[in-house]
Amino acid sequence: MTDKILKVKNGDTVTSVNNFLKDLLKSKKIQALLVMQEVPSKAISFPVLISDSDKLNSNVFAPVLPVSTASIISKITKIDSSSGPIGVVIRACQIRALVELVKLNQANIDNIIIIGVDCLGTFPVNVYSDFPEKESPTDFILNTSKKNIDANKYLRTACQNCKVPIPSNADIVIGLFGLDPKKELLIQINSEKGQKLLEGINLEAVKDTKNREKALKDILLEKNQNRSDFIKEFGKIKGIDALAKFFDKCINCHNCMKVCPICYCKECLFDSSIFNLEANKYIGKAEKKGLFKMPNDSLLFHTTRMNHMVVSCIGCGLCEQACPSDITLMEIITPIGENAQKIFDYSPGSDIEEKIPMVIYKEDEYQEVGEK
Amino acid sequence: MVIKMEDFEPKIVGFLCNWCSYAGADLAGTSRIQYPPNVRVIKVMCSGSVDSVYILRALLEGADGVFIGGCHPGDCHYLDGNYKARRKAVLMNSILDTLGLEKERIWIRWVSASEGQKFADTIKEMTEAIKKLGPNPIAKYWNI
Repeated sequence: MTDKILKVKNGDTVTSVNNFLKDLLKSKKIQALLVMQEVPSKAISFPVLISDSDKLNSNVFAPVLPVSTASIISKITKIDSSSGPIGVVIRACQIRALVELVKLNQANIDNIIIIGVDCLGTFPVNVYSDFPEKESPTDFILNTSKKNIDANKYLRTACQNCKVPIPSNADIVIGLFGLDPKKELLIQINSEKGQKLLEGINLEAVKDTKNREKALKDILLEKNQNRSDFIKEFGKIKGIDALAKFFDKCINCHNCMKVCPICYCKECLFDSSIFNLEANKYIGKAEKKGLFKMPNDSLLFHTTRMNHMVVSCIGCGLCEQACPSDITLMEIITPIGENAQKIFDYSPGSDIEEKIPMVIYKEDEYQEVGEK
Repeated sequence: MVIKMEDFEPKIVGFLCNWCSYAGADLAGTSRIQYPPNVRVIKVMCSGSVDSVYILRALLEGADGVFIGGCHPGDCHYLDGNYKARRKAVLMNSILDTLGLEKERIWIRWVSASEGQKFADTIKEMTEAIKKLGPNPIAKYWNI
């Protein structure tokens, strides 16, 4: 499968990609397209499901991730898959989340064509909607890919420390690393599905891939460095004192769980009535220590959630973004995820055939557990 | 209230699987084998059914130790529950390690229905180990 080049007209990257997507929709090879599009107020971009190509006004590079695109795809495909294919334009972290959801039987991608986009990172929702620079957030982030502008001051922590901003498991990748996005974009074809979809679409052949290879290497190196520095710094939040302090501001809203693509339970144990006690039991709890904070069980909630999702945590950082108390959750989730995934030699979202560690076992592993 | 170390009697919450460890504990009882009364037994159908939330809730509410008893590997009544319990224990250990919490307070052991003596010995051993560790420091936190 040969890769193609999409020529950008008049330096307008967003419109050129939009026209490309319009062509895909018009070809009728896909029934609908799930893509980031600005809401009418222009305050933010959301995933929208579009069937009419005239209504398509997408911005696939909008540096914002208000909700998990993977959770949206799960919502669409959970009951059954659509009669015709749906194209989804999606970031690298969200493809990883989608792969995990497929493994957890929460999404079906048989009729989904994944169009991955090279990710330059995203800003917190409020930074995006009130962007302090003169340019639009999208222009700003696109410029960082060629000029040497440091976007880290605006990027979400999760994006600064992203493991792999390059899409894997995509049928088609819209690439911008190593290219000048004001002039051209890479259209990489990774599967039969992608190949079929692009038949009849007018694209040019790729001339030189050296620049891109180098750019990919550089970006992975940079992100890996950021990530290991970050883990080194915050792996030090240790002990009950530090933990109690870290979660002191938690108001038990469970937003972190609700936005997490991996936390898929229909009814979370912590939203159930199991933790609702009779009045005298609350008093009994108070009497045990003389006092206790209400609402309680916030540390229990967070540590349990870690046990439930961290092996599959793809590091999107939506939990941190959704926290109304600004708890910097990634400082704890990142090292925990890294360590737990290392133990099971598991990289969430990378291989769709690989089983999740918590559902498999080997008879002769971890034999020290249970013996001493 | 300050408890003197020598008076400290740890509270241990024990999750015992219905088919092996609970029967093992029963055998210890019917055979009149003495073991420390520090363990409070909760019967579960399988060690694999012991979710992290059971363990963490016990510890965060102030239990000094949590014991999980299951069938020996290969002997699970449900074929592979204890293998899964083992993986969960590995994950829990990793998380507690990263968080700097005491994983020594959580014991998982395989005790069969015929091992009354082993059950008594294990509980004795654990009670002594937790006595050495001292009271669970989490117990005094009212703000978690």
